[in-house]
Amino acid sequence: MTEYEHYEAVVVGAGPGGAAAAAALAKQGIETLVLERGADAGAKNVSGGLIYAEEWAPYTIDDLFPGFREAAAERPVEEYYIHNIAGENVKTFDLDRIHHRGTEWCDAVLRRRMDSWLAERVHEMTRETGGGLLTDVRVNGLLREGGTIVGVTCDELDPIEADVVIAADGVNSELARDAGLMDWDDPDDWFQGVKAVVDMEPEVIDERFDVRPETGSAHLFSGDLFDGVRGGGFLYTNEDSLSIGTVFHLDSLADERAEPHELLDSLLTHPLLDQWLQGEYEEREYAAKLVPDSKRVAHPSPHRGRLLLVGDAAGQMQAQGPIIKGMNHAVTAGGLAAEAVAEAQTRGNVRAAGALYEQKLEDEGVMKRLRPRRYRATRFVSESRPVNRLGRTLVNSRLGAAGLKLFDGLLERSFNSPFVLGMIPDTKMTYVTIPERVGEVLGDPVDGESRVEPPELDDRIGDLTYDVDDPHIEVLDDSFEASGTAVTACPVSAEGFGGGCYREETVQTNGEAERKVSLDTQPCVECGTCAVVADTHWEHPSGGKGVQFEQG
Amino acid sequence: MVAIDPTEHEISELGPEVNGIDDAAELREMLSLEASGEDRAPVKTLIESRIETLEAGGEDDPESVDLTELTIADIANMVRDIDDGDLLRDILEREREGKERKGAISQIESRIESVEGSDDDGTELEYEPPEKKYPDLDHPTADKQYVEGVSGESYRDMWVYCETQQGRLIDVSKEMLGRARELMDAYNADNAVADDTASYGGDEGGNTEEVVAVLIGDDVAGLAEEAIAYGADRVVYHDDDRLARFRHKPYTELFCHMCRDWSQEWRDYHEPRYNIFPATNNGRDLSALVQGELDSGLASDCSDLYIGAAMISNPAKTGKPGDSVEFERVLHMPRPDFSGFEYSTILCIDKPFRDFHPQGASVIPGTFEVPEPGDREGEVVEHDIDLPEDWFQVEVVDHDQLEDGVDLTGHEVVVAMGRGIDRVDPTEGIELGLELTDQFEDAGFGLSRGVITASYEFGSHVEGYITEERQIGESGQVVEPDLYIAAGISGAVQHKVGMDESDTIVAINTDPEADIRGFSDYFIEGDLFEVLPRFIEALEEGTFERAIAEVSSD
Repeated sequence: MTEYEHYEAVVVGAGPGGAAAAAALAKQGIETLVLERGADAGAKNVSGGLIYAEEWAPYTIDDLFPGFREAAAERPVEEYYIHNIAGENVKTFDLDRIHHRGTEWCDAVLRRRMDSWLAERVHEMTRETGGGLLTDVRVNGLLREGGTIVGVTCDELDPIEADVVIAADGVNSELARDAGLMDWDDPDDWFQGVKAVVDMEPEVIDERFDVRPETGSAHLFSGDLFDGVRGGGFLYTNEDSLSIGTVFHLDSLADERAEPHELLDSLLTHPLLDQWLQGEYEEREYAAKLVPDSKRVAHPSPHRGRLLLVGDAAGQMQAQGPIIKGMNHAVTAGGLAAEAVAEAQTRGNVRAAGALYEQKLEDEGVMKRLRPRRYRATRFVSESRPVNRLGRTLVNSRLGAAGLKLFDGLLERSFNSPFVLGMIPDTKMTYVTIPERVGEVLGDPVDGESRVEPPELDDRIGDLTYDVDDPHIEVLDDSFEASGTAVTACPVSAEGFGGGCYREETVQTNGEAERKVSLDTQPCVECGTCAVVADTHWEHPSGGKGVQFEQG
Repeated sequence: MVAIDPTEHEISELGPEVNGIDDAAELREMLSLEASGEDRAPVKTLIESRIETLEAGGEDDPESVDLTELTIADIANMVRDIDDGDLLRDILEREREGKERKGAISQIESRIESVEGSDDDGTELEYEPPEKKYPDLDHPTADKQYVEGVSGESYRDMWVYCETQQGRLIDVSKEMLGRARELMDAYNADNAVADDTASYGGDEGGNTEEVVAVLIGDDVAGLAEEAIAYGADRVVYHDDDRLARFRHKPYTELFCHMCRDWSQEWRDYHEPRYNIFPATNNGRDLSALVQGELDSGLASDCSDLYIGAAMISNPAKTGKPGDSVEFERVLHMPRPDFSGFEYSTILCIDKPFRDFHPQGASVIPGTFEVPEPGDREGEVVEHDIDLPEDWFQVEVVDHDQLEDGVDLTGHEVVVAMGRGIDRVDPTEGIELGLELTDQFEDAGFGLSRGVITASYEFGSHVEGYITEERQIGESGQVVEPDLYIAAGISGAVQHKVGMDESDTIVAINTDPEADIRGFSDYFIEGDLFEVLPRFIEALEEGTFERAIAEVSSD
């Protein structure tokens, strides 16, 4: 018999999913230990920045953490727009209806502030049960006994046994991969987001966005400002800063050999943004993360033995056109996982927790939002090549232009329909062609000229805080063919830039010039992109090591 | 002006510093610096509580204070810190003449009783061996002759274990000798000569006590004079070629034999009074083993040492419940706890029927200054006994000397190469850098992180130079030479922090926009493969400054 420390539940990761699970477990009196690898909860966490409370959801963040909105969130979003961009022409649609549909509230958040606030509450709550929250601890795998999962292993502590393990360890969940539930194989399954948090005085935000103090707005951007890479941009107002970012399909980013930081810059420097930035640009933080495409990878059965996956770790991130929702699903899933654990415990069979959790995700309507059937039904047609070519030709034709004009109002309505959005195919046509054409045909030229100069990549890296440890990523095949995509796709690397993670090098071997890539993990922001696009052995750094986001 | 700006220190460093400051005004200034700077709540609390302590204490001199102005609680607090029976009786008298409060009088009387012992001292403690007292327990030390019944033995001298490495005294050995010298000089003096250490005029009989240095090793006799110069009165050494490396068994046996079992005219006591060891890897091992064998205690990793009296009320030590007893000649051994947030002072005190001597400590290297060696006289004694074979059952079959590593600091010139070396051929780039380094009398050769983490395949003759220990920058070394030559380095902030304190920075880069231009004194726009050969040539002719002037674009 081993003599490891034992808890009724171990929650890995103190983001919104882990915090919700731990809080709900603690409310049931279940002895819960939360392990967080950041030096502070939130130090490792990045998101675009909107958290929703949905009317249908059985758990919302302010149910579980009263006072959340006042203490941990930025501004509530009261206005929601999408801008379709074609060169200097822009057509703006008001997405108010889709935004408010079924939504109780929606707040902008910065993750360092939010997650560290949550973690304090979680620690108080879980301590009552005989557990607590520990930071600086990286869980590096599952503890097994005779092939059965019985707990977790850590870099910093002895193995810990648990009746159940709730893995809320994020998009690059090492536990989900250890259990064989998720992989990093296909770039099609992922989005990559990069974000800049930009300084702006509260009064200036009120004035330039025409919002009342304590309220804010959200703007989405699509069209031709991203060199044909599939994806879009966003801008959210925080209390005294802006979150401006871009999100792209990773396969498209990889194929086009696009540089994520340059795509972000092309948004930042678009004249449309001049009305808000007005030539002033002070970047607080540059950050990046992978985002799972729930339509493809939300795991229908996110559990194995005593392991339950929650949030990004289970691919529970809904991104359908302008609907981008992740944290709310993680909170709901965390609450449901805790419920399942409590019920299973009451039944005297904790092993049943996983199956109960799966059932609850289905019954409570989480799965149907994450993996809409309409998408599955239509994607084979709409994502096929000939259909797209036909569509593109049509949209670009004069006839198409007339149609667009005719259907101006209808178009805005269809952007506001969850039914249509659920069908949106992930093709260039939806992300680029239609918005571009909308902007071109319907849009008016923006007056304004960009006067901002975003920082260079080396300065962005230089401004981040790191506690550098031994390399946590190993390149298994350093040939350019196998791993060269990382040079461009990695948000802190770029072609011809020697200070990034991945660098292309030409090596003379036996008189033959060979293209290789080398890796320096010092500037790594732990997004996981290279785990997908390059041939690597990818792990997180040890507890407290690596990058530390101050904003997140 | 404040001696310490709190905003420049970590909180863990500030604890002891702040508590050493006695000037409230200075503390207030520090408080406002902190408030306008880092504004860390725990730091402010620390400073505030020190101010409070200073202002609460100090103003009432118990000899003259007007008792009528104090509450009973004030008096109780005041007398708790007084160990002088006469002073207490004086206070008692004043209270009786003044307000004559019952509560105050009983507080003072009870303090007098606890300081001086109760009057009804009729019952003598009687020794009952633990085997008899607790017959049901195991008594593994029952047959150890030194554990019990050593009360009343004699203890003298301060013994210092002097560790050596590579045939030399290591610094901490000198530091300990210096401190031992100060402590025993004060101890042997009739009147106080040091603030922190009591004077006794020698031992209980008035004879001076010594600092005894212990040297164990192979060919250490030659270090005896040096040990004396640093403070020892007497050096006991044991040489044996089998002792060249530290080995637990023989070193422990030897030390114990020297200080306890070895009958010598000068060593006519039972055991040393004090034993001091270095808190090094070997010193920690040895200190624990020796103090265990001598059946005493050990305060490990101490950060100070001083000798003085201590009032003890613990009945396990005093044998008289309720009374305080003053113990003299106690070695005070402060040590950091909780990573330096707190300090504990460890005392090793005899109890009835059981002595705890030698009072032992290991000392963190660097705690005390290395003293100036003096022109001193001392005795050197060889400890020459036959060492039994069974002390050497553990055999050292192999050992390795870790290399010192590359130290790039302290050079006049540092030549550093960056990823610009791949413009032609990385190996050639390194060769050029090394050649340039050789042109200076005192130059170090460094690299940017980008070179070390690259996939370049270097020729075998330069490969040995491509190591992390040559890295300059945030995760490498920080250098500030007179001249720093950065070739093919763009100057990212991670590199900058490792070199921008250099007096003169010369940068060579093909990119006129490279960041390094912003903090270079001379920027040469060009390929290092063209510029470095010109440098080398110029240096061979001895005209480096002119060469820079010619090619510099800034």
